[in-house]
Amino acid sequence: MSATNELPGTAERAQPGPIRHKGPGPSESGWLDPRGRGHGGRALALHRITGLVIVCYLYLHLGVLSMLLIGSSAWGSFLSLVTAKSFLALEVVLIAAVLFHGLNGIRVALVGSGIAVTRERAMFWAGTAIGTAAVIFAALHILGALS
Amino acid sequence: MAARHDAHVLIVGGGATGGGLAHDLALRGLRVTVVERGEVTSGTSGRHHGLLHSGARYAVGDREAGVECIRENMILKRIAPGTFECNDGLFVAVCDEDLEYLEPLVEGCTGAGIPAQRLTPAQALALEPNLNPELKAAVRVPDATVDPMRLILRFFATARHNGADIRPYMEVIGLLLHDGLVSGAAVRDHVTGKEGEIHADLVVNAAGPWSGKVASMAGATVPITPSPGVLLALRGRYCNMVINRMHKSADGDIVVPQRGLSIVGTSSWVVEDPDELSVPEDHVERMYTEGSKLIPALAHAPRRAAWSAARPLVGSSGAATGRELSRTFQTFDHAEQDEVEGFVTITGGKSTTLRGMAELCADVVCRKLGIDEPCRTHENVLLPHTAYYSEAVAA
Amino acid sequence: MSTEQQSPAAPDGAEAGPEETRRLRIFRYKRGDGGERFDEFEVPVGPHTTVLDALLWIKRHKDPSLALRYSCLHASCGTCGVLVDGREELACVCSVQDHGAEITVEPLANLPILTDVVVEMNGFFARFPHEHPIIRSSGSPADAHAGEVHLEGAHEVTLDLPGPLHHHPLHDDHRAAPPGADFMRLEDCIECGLCLSACPVAATSHDYVGPAALAAAERLLEEPRGVKREDVLAWASRPEAVWRCHVGFECTRACPADAVPAERIMALRRELTFGGPDDEESKR
Repeated sequence: MSATNELPGTAERAQPGPIRHKGPGPSESGWLDPRGRGHGGRALALHRITGLVIVCYLYLHLGVLSMLLIGSSAWGSFLSLVTAKSFLALEVVLIAAVLFHGLNGIRVALVGSGIAVTRERAMFWAGTAIGTAAVIFAALHILGALS
Repeated sequence: MAARHDAHVLIVGGGATGGGLAHDLALRGLRVTVVERGEVTSGTSGRHHGLLHSGARYAVGDREAGVECIRENMILKRIAPGTFECNDGLFVAVCDEDLEYLEPLVEGCTGAGIPAQRLTPAQALALEPNLNPELKAAVRVPDATVDPMRLILRFFATARHNGADIRPYMEVIGLLLHDGLVSGAAVRDHVTGKEGEIHADLVVNAAGPWSGKVASMAGATVPITPSPGVLLALRGRYCNMVINRMHKSADGDIVVPQRGLSIVGTSSWVVEDPDELSVPEDHVERMYTEGSKLIPALAHAPRRAAWSAARPLVGSSGAATGRELSRTFQTFDHAEQDEVEGFVTITGGKSTTLRGMAELCADVVCRKLGIDEPCRTHENVLLPHTAYYSEAVAA
Repeated sequence: MSTEQQSPAAPDGAEAGPEETRRLRIFRYKRGDGGERFDEFEVPVGPHTTVLDALLWIKRHKDPSLALRYSCLHASCGTCGVLVDGREELACVCSVQDHGAEITVEPLANLPILTDVVVEMNGFFARFPHEHPIIRSSGSPADAHAGEVHLEGAHEVTLDLPGPLHHHPLHDDHRAAPPGADFMRLEDCIECGLCLSACPVAATSHDYVGPAALAAAERLLEEPRGVKREDVLAWASRPEAVWRCHVGFECTRACPADAVPAERIMALRRELTFGGPDDEESKR
């Protein structure tokens, strides 16, 4: 075997090198970083975020409903909470999240099983258009009804 | 695999020559270290259009080169299967003047043992529909297309598997010279930034166009003339076969398919320093013009890249363009001509003959070291290029 | 390739016009001293200057310790992959004219750094399926411009077309090339690693085999070359293989060689989800 150990830098080369990754923190956050990504990578990040939002909503929903456990006396304060403008605004956000997650989910399911691969980008923008229209309609309906 | 002999050879230069030589010497059981200042094949070996010569291009003017080529062509296809697009090549006459070259070409090929088939224009167009429809004649020869780096990686991978130490990013900054004996090299490791020394029983200068610079570190001279040429990569795969112009070697006389690109080459001039290569736009234009005489669609193909690569031509720089110099290779034992012992240069040549060059040099190296081992590289099948990147041996 | 004799002319040898320069911000790392930092250099540029031209100019005129990885200079070898302003590019064909006054160059993501902007590719290749042939049948020699000519039809038109001069390795190995495809070619994939760097999942999971490896597996389904279909499907259906992909399509976006890894991954998933006629045969 050639005299490997005599060569300068042998020990340093044998060590594992640092790995750079995109993302704000540890490598597990790499998916979050939107810089340098296309619509596909951003959709992936948003899909995960909206998924988390929907899960959080579920707990919030149960939490809010549990206000009623006390009995009929809680009805008044419950109503004033759920009809508050800020609460309704959050509901619009929730609708946006559900729409994005659902529509993108259909796109991912179709593309990811190899059914509609060539129309992947078209589906993204179509979904965005439909979703945006639906959110605007919902916002006008929910928030507009107050004025 | 442990080395059978104690002798340690240090090869300066990680290109085709260094790779071929490392493989040959490792098979002969010597201890080998290769140092290369950048990535392997980053010098000049990785830059060519990817032609595996049949030798037909040389058969007319330089029969010896033609014979070398076809021999090495067949050997490489045997020892590196799965690396070549074995689609053959065409020499195409696009004007009446070209037709004058037809008989000399066929005769030259026959004389050099290069299979050559005459085709009618209809037959040529049937094989390659994108050819100039005005073509007058065609000759089919066993050219092939190769990915230059990946072929050379197979040599390095096999050498490493057989015990050689391959060190990219290690730059030779001086030779250890004392009392007319070279005992190794001073190196800078670009991975750590630190310097050190490597000791060896023999140093081989395989630095291609940079051979002159390396040799001067020992006070030796090598008549190397770096001779660059421009190459142009165009988007679109317009042929499967290598398309050559049926006339004497000239600018833009070849189109080589490289995956989804078509490479048009080349031109020729001489320089002093192979690190300072320009890409003259008029040469690029010439590639477009000449290339589209062979394949008209190339005239409008978008440009992917334009670059220059320096051939290591053996001979003094008295030549004007570099085309006059021989493309054969030579080994220089500096003990004989510069009174420097322990130092040998192998240079010149072209990519197709890398294995043959290495055999010649390895014979010289073994003779100098008093080692009696035959060359086995003509029959030893190389590991796949991916093995270069793995510690484990690929099947 | 680069500067003319009179320095500091533009790296691509352009005629000295109005002095145009760009600032390059380059990631530096040498093992042993442990430091990671960014160095800045002003580089003269011309109309055709690539990022690699600029990096080589710096190496030759300002800092010889800068380590660079490159070989073919024309997007064929796949060795010069870097991040330019956060996006995966092959430095040899990335024009500085497509970027702003300051250009940041960093090594690829998701692979260990060897030095400066050079990454170690061992881990990239280790992810590939064990059998990884790089030659396949070529089919039609045409580009879009060439029309409808097919080799089979052409053979019928001309009689006595001499056979190939070479021994066709595909035939020698009894790995039958599809009929009419006498020509062979290198696969599009140049093994550059840009796809692995761009993949959001590869950032999260170091086990994920990545787009290049999956695309290589799908190409084995497309043209087996002696590799068994069930072996490829078994390799691909592991958790760290095709099912770890989340349809980001960043790989196809980053790919400089039109190897469309995302589309190939979806084709692989289609095979695994819905099977195919061969699937029935292999079960017998």
